[in-house]
Amino acid sequence: MSERRPYMRAQPRDWWAHKPYLGYTLRELTGAGVALYGGILLAGLISLARGPEAFEGFRSFLTSPISLLIHLLLLAVMIWHVVTWFQTMPKTMPKLIVGGRHVPQQNLMVAGVALAALCSVALIVLVLAVGAWS
Amino acid sequence: MTPHAPKRSMSPVFWLMFGAGGMLSALFGPALIVLTGIMLPFGLGVPGRFGDYAHALRFAQNPLGKLILLAVIALFFWHGAERIFLTLKDMRAGALPVLRVATYGVAALLTLVTLALLLEIGF
Repeated sequence: MSERRPYMRAQPRDWWAHKPYLGYTLRELTGAGVALYGGILLAGLISLARGPEAFEGFRSFLTSPISLLIHLLLLAVMIWHVVTWFQTMPKTMPKLIVGGRHVPQQNLMVAGVALAALCSVALIVLVLAVGAWS
Repeated sequence: MTPHAPKRSMSPVFWLMFGAGGMLSALFGPALIVLTGIMLPFGLGVPGRFGDYAHALRFAQNPLGKLILLAVIALFFWHGAERIFLTLKDMRAGALPVLRVATYGVAALLTLVTLALLLEIGF
């Protein structure tokens, strides 16, 4: 029998719902939002494969207030994912050195979010242009 | 295999899919939600017919359209699966094999479903 009796710090089962872990939990939960959006697209693809009638059903769901509410909520979750994704990214990569100086993590985060904003705006502008041109 | 060969882990594969899905959703996710959830259904800024069956079918029949649909749907699922798996593991929500099936397993299944649907829709 071992004499070793290490101190085991008690951890409540709901540790993830309280500070300082709450920020971590909220960041990880954005993954569920991303997957849910993938699920909505998959539902659309299923109805597309089943024919025009099924697809009309999917379209009428998309114009319902509950769908609009879900998408606005998903948009908020997705924006939080963008911010936290680029907050985490500098911590997971080697230190970036430009001109003999470390680039601060804050700068990398701002650059990443700016790039994401540029990509999203560019995609919407592209679709608007195609819509106006056709 | 030599007896001392290190045990290979599958986790880098999942990590890669998580990273690809995370980057794709970070760069284009907000625009995709605005496009497919608000602009196309309500005809805001785009002609209303862009969201109809004929246009959606043409998009899904186009090889590039298929690639976009597969990448977005599958990688978003794999991204979510990795995050949900690690969080549930940290929450000690259940036995690891069960959690793996409920996250990676579901993502793998839905990836196959997406692939089958894209083939069924045809070119």
